[in-house]
Amino acid sequence: MNMRMRRRLGEWLTAYIFLLPWLFIFLVFVLFSIGWAFYLSFTKYNLFSPPQWVGVEQYLKVIRNEDFLQHALPNTLKYVAVVVPTQTVLSLIIAFALDQKIRFRRFFRTAFYVPSVTSSVVISLIFLWLFSKIGIINQIFHLDIDWLNSPTYALPTIMIVNIWSTIGTMMLIFLAALQDIPESLYEAAEIDGANRFQIFRHITIPALRPAIFFVVTMGVIGCFQVFDQIYVMTSGGPLGATTTMAYLVYKWAFQSTNIRMGRASAVAFILSLMILVVVLIQRRFIEQPEEE
Amino acid sequence: MAVQTRTAPRVRAQVSLWDRVKMPLFYGVLAAWTVVSIFPFWVSLVYSLKPVANAYDPPILWPIPFTLENYRTVLTEFELFPRWLLNSAIISVVLTVVRTLFCAMGGYAFARLRFPGRRFLFITMLFSMMVPGQVLIIPRFLVIGPGVIRNLTIGGTKIPTGFGLLDSLLAVIVPGIVDAFGLFMMTQFYRSIPKELEEAAAIDGAGRFGTFFRIVLPMSQTALITLALFTFQGTWNEFMWPLIVLRTPENFTLPLGLQWFRGEYYTLYSIVLAGSLFNSLPIILIFFLFQRYFIRSIAVTGLKGV
Amino acid sequence: MNRKLFAIVSAGLLLALLVAGCAPKTVTVTVEVPVERTVEVERTVEVEVPAERIEVRLSGWAANPQETALLESLLYRFSVENPDIVVKYEPITGDYWQAIKTLVASGEEPDIYYMDIFQFPFFAQQGVLLPLDDMMASTGTSRDAFIPDLIDAFTYEGKTYGIPKDFNTLALFYNKDMFAAAGLEEPTDDWTWDDLKAAAEALSDPDNNVYGLGVPADPGRFPIFVFQNGGKIMTDDFSDTLLDSPEVIEAAEFYTSFYFDGSGALPSDVGEGWQGTAFGKGNFAMVYEGGWLIPYLNEQFPDLNYGAVLPPEGPAGYGNLIFTVAYVISQNSEHPEAAWRVIDFLTNEASQTTVLESGFALPSRAALIDHPYFEEHPVSATIFRGAEGATPFMWGLYGSDVNEKMAQALERIYLEGQSPAESFQQAAAELRDIFKEG
Repeated sequence: MNMRMRRRLGEWLTAYIFLLPWLFIFLVFVLFSIGWAFYLSFTKYNLFSPPQWVGVEQYLKVIRNEDFLQHALPNTLKYVAVVVPTQTVLSLIIAFALDQKIRFRRFFRTAFYVPSVTSSVVISLIFLWLFSKIGIINQIFHLDIDWLNSPTYALPTIMIVNIWSTIGTMMLIFLAALQDIPESLYEAAEIDGANRFQIFRHITIPALRPAIFFVVTMGVIGCFQVFDQIYVMTSGGPLGATTTMAYLVYKWAFQSTNIRMGRASAVAFILSLMILVVVLIQRRFIEQPEEE
Repeated sequence: MAVQTRTAPRVRAQVSLWDRVKMPLFYGVLAAWTVVSIFPFWVSLVYSLKPVANAYDPPILWPIPFTLENYRTVLTEFELFPRWLLNSAIISVVLTVVRTLFCAMGGYAFARLRFPGRRFLFITMLFSMMVPGQVLIIPRFLVIGPGVIRNLTIGGTKIPTGFGLLDSLLAVIVPGIVDAFGLFMMTQFYRSIPKELEEAAAIDGAGRFGTFFRIVLPMSQTALITLALFTFQGTWNEFMWPLIVLRTPENFTLPLGLQWFRGEYYTLYSIVLAGSLFNSLPIILIFFLFQRYFIRSIAVTGLKGV
Repeated sequence: MNRKLFAIVSAGLLLALLVAGCAPKTVTVTVEVPVERTVEVERTVEVEVPAERIEVRLSGWAANPQETALLESLLYRFSVENPDIVVKYEPITGDYWQAIKTLVASGEEPDIYYMDIFQFPFFAQQGVLLPLDDMMASTGTSRDAFIPDLIDAFTYEGKTYGIPKDFNTLALFYNKDMFAAAGLEEPTDDWTWDDLKAAAEALSDPDNNVYGLGVPADPGRFPIFVFQNGGKIMTDDFSDTLLDSPEVIEAAEFYTSFYFDGSGALPSDVGEGWQGTAFGKGNFAMVYEGGWLIPYLNEQFPDLNYGAVLPPEGPAGYGNLIFTVAYVISQNSEHPEAAWRVIDFLTNEASQTTVLESGFALPSRAALIDHPYFEEHPVSATIFRGAEGATPFMWGLYGSDVNEKMAQALERIYLEGQSPAESFQQAAAELRDIFKEG
């Protein structure tokens, strides 16, 4: 065996040893769970009686279901389309601003991270109150909208709450990534007379590609699966205006008096497939081609 | 324009109207966002510092009348409170240390090492985050607890198909020792930093393990701290999984115990808010202690110090 | 020192002695039994500890701390009288139904757990509960001892599956000060819809965010108007919905008329999520709520001067909803007899009297109607009496779908101005599609 082969085998071995903890968890918990749920999506299963195989019937029922077609699907897509770009761009700008040598930046960083440590109980309670008919938002803007009880405004309100509560986390990821851009790159650019916008555009953004891919991917996954705030604040209402695919999964899997786990699993896999497609597409745009 | 000079010492800008308003504007925007960020927290703090019976009386932005009674209730109503705090601390500390390390190792493998199945495993890892957790709860529960197949016997010996860890802190810890989010984050982090240093170490004759533990890990301080913070926060607040696997009140975590203050039909929010702020306290403290690692001047790339 | 502390300390003591007590045959245990806030009874009892004890697991949603302490004190009393059984209390503090359904699906459910009447049909139909009749006979526990509507509600195909632990009905709560300020006579038990409407109109002052009656789009409130109008939500066998029947549509017209003529409002109109808060703050002069409102008002709005009467009668007379919860035993229980002894103890007359005197819940035992507690607590008495002629809050297997469509029908009327007839016809049609699809 020549030296190169030995080296290569050593690299393989190291990689698998490093990945061992994850492989263990993946094989024992994740693979089985996903396989089980995938199997259930082809059955009629109410949790208490054994699943009955029905083939693709559940998928057909889902794509013909009113709740799915009229509410869950369009709401989820709207939600992703608005929230993902907004939270990514805002958090990137904030992180860039706080990476400058400005005054009080420790204070600002802590302050901007506060939404991420605010418990979901607090968030839902306070936003319900802020956006209530007699709440502060209406008072400031002289409006008379019952935000969370209006089929028109309920989803945008949930979007605002979620953007608000996720920006801090994303900002922190960007901030961490910004620490690793070599100072020499900035210095070179400044000597060339680049202004701050040009530096941002031509140095910061390209260097942050892996971090942006990470943030956008997590944003896409989180938004497609949006559930918590809807569960606490609107329960999918009013009139289905905030029913999303993940909420439908919960509703059919656990909330119904007559459980439809098979159909919930079918929705879950339709949702996963949509996320996968979007992630793979955005990966082409954001990530640099990997050198093999 | 002292501020501006400090901010960008090397750029000499012409003094125009824009130059004169941009810094005040910049700070104005930051201040406004600060208010937006802190406001809900502040309101809930005020609410929790007022007596229950005065919860709906004005003013709403200042705790008048002031009381610590709600916090006293949270601390004393349940004898088990210190126990819950301890359980939460054990779970969070163990998982933060273990998960951060394992995610860094795995992320390094995905980002730097070449091995068969890398691309496939990476996409698989991403996909595992895409399936909504709601449909995975029951199979996960079966694996950690009673087993998928009960009474599986081969040649007279009972083969366990589950961990049998129900009602134990291990049921929360074991499935959490590594997660796709952290693995993905560390992968992306290692992709974004230059390889030159590691290569230098490799030339020096350090093996791959040596390179990773002596060079790469110390170098990724910022990312490790970020991930550790997220992990601590995530495990500290985790609710659904502990709710299902932990049964006896002695084994509850803090969020499970605090949830006790929510009634079946009605809830006294003053106490619930006091409890949840109490729950956020350790995270805020940790963030405050570690946030200096996010400041550029102590960047750790090692290529160029400031 | 607080009561909870006593309960837990004494529990610890009891357990410690029980464990240590394997060697000596007789031990002395001190048990604090908190009966009411102010009264603490200390008892010293001799407990004979058998070598082997049966463990019985009991789960329920976690009620507020005081109510939990009450249940625990009953359980300690039980362990003193039944030293051969150890009851392990495993409260579920989060989403109870998701947790319990997961546990049942994995065969890991506790021996005894709480069962709400609304969720009962599915559990009974799926055969995951144990019929209790034989065990009831063995201990001489008669169905007749319980309020008939409650025990009947937990009966499926002629078998008893649950022993009701407590219940609630709706009462018309009214703000006495607001009635006095408007110069109106306070409501009585023989009020009718017309009286209700007239009072609501007189009490309303929309400019100041004050409304006569709370009329939320809530499937746990609206049905009483249907019953009072001689209608029903479902057919008797729950195979079809009657949401498009004239009785329901008329009831909806009356119910929503409060909203449109300004004599009533939704809680969200006054910036609240629940009408209990709107009532406490004086935004609503009257609300239909259950006994849970009493402790809430005591703590959150201690100065509120209020009363409660039976829901006013409609064209077809009286109608009300019963909300009730039972103890059930799992089909998988390894110790059904021991589990039954626990349930039998928790629902016997002595325990139920303790429950009543604690003020947290209304007992399911019919005989307790003559208890002196009710003379001192007229609001509780109203809610207790409300059970007669009331209907359990349960719409069969598809209950959650029926609730959702009923709420949406009301929301369409309120938010989109659809006519009650059209809206409820649409709800019925959507429901029939769901029944067909399964």
